Amino acid sequence: MIADIGFYIVAFAMLVSAIWAVTAKNILHSALALIGSFFGTAILYLMLSAEFIAVAQVLVYIGGVVIFVIFIILLTSRLGDKAEIAPAMRKILAFALCSAMLGTFLHALDRAGYLVNTKTATAASDFASMRNIGLRFLDPGANGFLVPFEIISLLLLITVIGAIVIARKEGE
Amino acid sequence: MTLGYCLALAFGLFVIGAYGAMTRKNIVGILISIELMLNAANINFVAFAHFHATDSTSGPIFSAFVIAIAACEMAVALAIVVSMFRRHKNLDIDKLRELHG
Repeated sequence: MIADIGFYIVAFAMLVSAIWAVTAKNILHSALALIGSFFGTAILYLMLSAEFIAVAQVLVYIGGVVIFVIFIILLTSRLGDKAEIAPAMRKILAFALCSAMLGTFLHALDRAGYLVNTKTATAASDFASMRNIGLRFLDPGANGFLVPFEIISLLLLITVIGAIVIARKEGE
Repeated sequence: MTLGYCLALAFGLFVIGAYGAMTRKNIVGILISIELMLNAANINFVAFAHFHATDSTSGPIFSAFVIAIAACEMAVALAIVVSMFRRHKNLDIDKLRELHG
C-alpha cells in the first residue's frame, strides 16, 4: 500500500516535470526540469528493484547528459534572446496528434487487460542485482551479452572521436 | 503498483516527449524531448522485466544499452549543435535549411 502511494507520488512528479520540460519558455528551465524527470525515473527503478539501472540513470543521465546539455545551452544562447514561440497551429496539431496517440496506447493497454489485472507477480528480487547483471554482461555463452558489451565500448570510442572532429573549429 | 500503471506512465512520458519534439523550435529543446522519449522506453524494459519475464535479467541489460547509446547520441548531436551555432549564429530549426532541397 505504501509502495502504491509512493508510486503515485513519483509518477505525478515525473509527469509534471516532463510537461514543464517540454513547455518551458526558457530552454535552461527545461533542462532543469529534465533532471526532475530523470531523478523520478531513478526512484521508480529502485521501486522495481533494479538498483544498477537506477545508479546508472543518475550517473549517466543526470551527471552526464543533463550537465552536457546545460553547458551547450550556456555556450549557444545569448542572454536576452527572445523566447522561442512555435506557431499556434503547430501546437494545436501536435496536441491533437499526441492525444490521439495516448488514447490509442491506453486503449490497447486496456484491451490487453493490463489495467484491470491486479495480480502483482514479480521476478526474484535480485533479478537486476549488480552480480547478476555483471555475470550476464560478461558471459560468452549463448545467453550472455559479451559481444554487444564490447561493441558498446567501441561505439563510445567512435563517439568521442566523432564529437571532437565535428565540434572543432574549421581550419585547425 | 502493477505492470499496467507502469506502462501507462511510460506511455504518458513518451507522448509528452513526442509533443515536445513536434513543437520545439530550438534544436536543444528537441534533443531534450528525445531524451524523455528514450527514458520512457527504458521504463518499459525494466517494468516488463520486473513484473513478468522468464529471463528477468536481460530486461535491465537492454536498458543499460539504451542508456549508453542515448549518451553517445547526445554527445554527437550536441557537437553538431555547436558546429551549427558557429556557422549560423542561430539554432531555430525553421531557419536552418541547409538540408532542405
